[in-house]
Amino acid sequence: MSGSLDAYLILSGLLFSIGTFGFLARRNAISMLMSIELMLNSVNLAIVAFGAFTPALQGVASVIALMVIAVAAAEATVGLSIVIAIFRNRRTPLVDEYDSLRQ
Amino acid sequence: MNVDVLIALIPALPIAGFAITAAIGRRLGKQAHWIPVGAVVAAWAVAMVVVFLTLTHAEPFGETGYDLTIWRWIPAGGFQVDVGFHVDALTACLLIVVTTIGMLVHVYSIGYMAHDEGYWRFFAYLNLFMFSMLLLVLADSWLVVFVAWELVGLCSYLLIGFWYRRRSAALAAKKAFLVNRVGDVGFALGIMAIFLSTGTLGIQDSLASLVGPGATPVVPIGVIAFLVFCGAVGKSAQFPLHVWLPDAMEGPTPVSALIHAATMVNAGVYLVARANPLFAAAPQVMVIVAAIGIFTAILAASIAFTQTDIKRVLAYSTLSQLGYMFAALGVGAFSAAIFHLMAHGFFKGLLFLDSGSVIHAVHEEQDMRRMGGLGPRIPWTYGTMLVGAFAISGIPPLAGFFSKDEILGEAFKSGFVWVWAIGALVALMTAFYMFRLMGLTFWGSFRGPKEVWDRIHESPWVMVVPLVLLAIPSALLGLVLGLPFGDSTLTQWLAPVFEASESTLGHEASFDLVGVDGVLILVSVTLAAIGIAVAWRLFGVRWLAFRRDPDPVRVEAITASSPATRFLYRASLNKWWFDDLNHLIFIELGGRLANAAWWFDRVVVDGTVNGLGTTVSSIGGGLRRVQTGRVQNYALGIAIGLLVMAGSFLYIAGR
Amino acid sequence: MPIPDSVPILGIGWNDVLFIVFAGTMLGAGLLVVTMRDIIRCGLAMIVCFGALAGLYVLLGAPLVAAAQVLIYIGAISVLILFAIMLTQSKSAPVRLVFQTQAVPAAIASIVLAIVIALAVGATDWGAVVGPLHTATDDLARLLFDDYVLPFEVVSVLLLAAVVGGVFLAKRDGHSEDEAV
Repeated sequence: MSGSLDAYLILSGLLFSIGTFGFLARRNAISMLMSIELMLNSVNLAIVAFGAFTPALQGVASVIALMVIAVAAAEATVGLSIVIAIFRNRRTPLVDEYDSLRQ
Repeated sequence: MNVDVLIALIPALPIAGFAITAAIGRRLGKQAHWIPVGAVVAAWAVAMVVVFLTLTHAEPFGETGYDLTIWRWIPAGGFQVDVGFHVDALTACLLIVVTTIGMLVHVYSIGYMAHDEGYWRFFAYLNLFMFSMLLLVLADSWLVVFVAWELVGLCSYLLIGFWYRRRSAALAAKKAFLVNRVGDVGFALGIMAIFLSTGTLGIQDSLASLVGPGATPVVPIGVIAFLVFCGAVGKSAQFPLHVWLPDAMEGPTPVSALIHAATMVNAGVYLVARANPLFAAAPQVMVIVAAIGIFTAILAASIAFTQTDIKRVLAYSTLSQLGYMFAALGVGAFSAAIFHLMAHGFFKGLLFLDSGSVIHAVHEEQDMRRMGGLGPRIPWTYGTMLVGAFAISGIPPLAGFFSKDEILGEAFKSGFVWVWAIGALVALMTAFYMFRLMGLTFWGSFRGPKEVWDRIHESPWVMVVPLVLLAIPSALLGLVLGLPFGDSTLTQWLAPVFEASESTLGHEASFDLVGVDGVLILVSVTLAAIGIAVAWRLFGVRWLAFRRDPDPVRVEAITASSPATRFLYRASLNKWWFDDLNHLIFIELGGRLANAAWWFDRVVVDGTVNGLGTTVSSIGGGLRRVQTGRVQNYALGIAIGLLVMAGSFLYIAGR
Repeated sequence: MPIPDSVPILGIGWNDVLFIVFAGTMLGAGLLVVTMRDIIRCGLAMIVCFGALAGLYVLLGAPLVAAAQVLIYIGAISVLILFAIMLTQSKSAPVRLVFQTQAVPAAIASIVLAIVIALAVGATDWGAVVGPLHTATDDLARLLFDDYVLPFEVVSVLLLAAVVGGVFLAKRDGHSEDEAV
């Protein structure tokens, strides 16, 4: 099992869907961001898995994975800053109370 | 003075009177009558001149009359309508009646309406009516006749509902207008048919082209004639459109005299007489005309037996006499019909004005059961009314005798024996109910309250003079126009108008005083005498050598004697339930239909339109909830969309 | 004594065992992240998840990535998240609802997504070779600083921008009491 690409890809898909569920279903903004991190990680797993099983992508996959990690870090930083800024205004971290765009 | 100007003045004077009175009448107050009465008197004078010129065949009238075009009203390519006048002998006869009675009624109204606050309004409306009626008899285009037709209907509405605050008057005016309208639909269709068939709306031109040799009209002549007759049925209150005339008595008595006795209701008779070539070419329609006419005559006479309002009796009497005129037209006795029109105009106008005088004397009481014994107290009214009553009963040598006998004689000689028989019976009935009216009003003893009896007085001279002036032609007109027998003066005057039709119908003028005609005259005079005698026996009399007291006990006994008479009494009292029938059909059933249509309009039509709006708006409301303002909801939408796309890609790739 | 080639009794290879352990830990921790009520515990579960992921990277022959995962994700991002949780705690009573109203449709969507991915993965021929290939670190370094030095530099600028932006967004400015935000 550990020698098949499909297993790793399916694993990545499962983690991605877990992250999707968390993003769509949780009320707290920080939870949503954590779910986003899960999704990014699942993609990372997929990339590294490809790198491990495709000779043409052997080193490149690791490079890409490192880039993804860096970008995820940047994105987490900015996202959390935004949540903190909104929290300062609304006094709540719950996204279903951020509904100024509501008709 | 140019003849054109004279003819144009006849309708112009009353309309000017109307305009001025309507504008400044309110401020003139009690003096408001000078201008309208002056206008009508002047119009009468001018009309008499024109009549004289016409009947003596002076230039430019000649034998067939004179045409005058005032104005091109509608120049629309193939559809040309001119406002113009055609003056011939028939017009002259109508002018005599309309202007004379109109003038006398105007003078009478000065006294009758003296205490009314709408004094100026009354005279304005009367002048407007004079204008409309004169336009009607003078016009030379079907469309102008129709316009004048509607205008007289409007004036009738305005005048019946003159005391507009009285609910019964307003309802009666509305009823008159609506029932008239029913007939007018037929008339309008007839005019359209005439235009379709001949391409012109001028009366003389269209008649010539419709019945001339080689004419093949688009619409059958019988249909056109019937449609035109429909208009006459409405305006002249023949069965089944007779229901408005008795109710029209809600208007002031001068109105009843002028409009509903002497002029407007004659418009129908005039119309058929004017269109006589049309009718002569359609013998089946003539039979219908005669049948409706004589049926109306006997129907109305039977109702007049039991009416207690003095004006209602006269109204039904008018209906009955109009029926006579239509019967005459139906059997082809056109000049007899016109003769009766003129005679009836005078004596019915006289009778109505007399009744107004009576009502004025007993202080606005119209129920005959509370009158009686008024003869000695109001001698002028009594005398003139007696003359009128004898005239309408057909006693020689008064006017009614000549005209009625000419009608009955022509009917018999043309083979319409049933018309003659019914007409003779109606003559008996007419005499009876007229003298019942005289008995209840003038003879016997007074049955009203004492305060009224003490204050009974004769009317002012302004009212009495027209009465006398009307009594004279009622007495003498027959002698002037009806002699010599068989080829009377009037027949000679009207010959150019009617002779073509009479030859089409195959009538020959013949008269045997010592033969058929003599016997018929004897029969009708005898029947009239019987009617008068019975009325005297039951309702009392005090005239010359005849003296008898009223016998109400015997009247009761007769009406209650058998089931048949009881039924007839009830039927007569309820006007043969025609008003109830109309109410049932139009108000009840029509009301249900209208309600159903209203339901349909509200629920289905409006419901559909409103439903569309509501549906769109609720869809919008539903769709609005997609915009929650929450990012997660939008993200779910993205996820679902993504899944759908991926799924379909997989599906397509898999196939 | 030398380690046997495969697990005794069960007969599964050691790699597979590790794979199962790490995968299970990862998925379990992931589920805990998205379903637990207390956010702090979600954060901690996330740390566990990242750790398991690092193990999977090692199994896939990418040790540098594993190291970066541990250092950056567990060491920096998770800490950042825990700080943010601390800063956004509201003093009101604990929230009753954990999940949104749309949780059920979201769950269905997620499950369908997983199925679709699984089907897509299974249906595609990736042209894979047997056995994970291990990446040598010096090969990776050569790639990173020679062929892909531009993305490397850009990412560092991106990180700088992110830092500046984060500081700006999250700082409490002195005028906020006077003017409307």
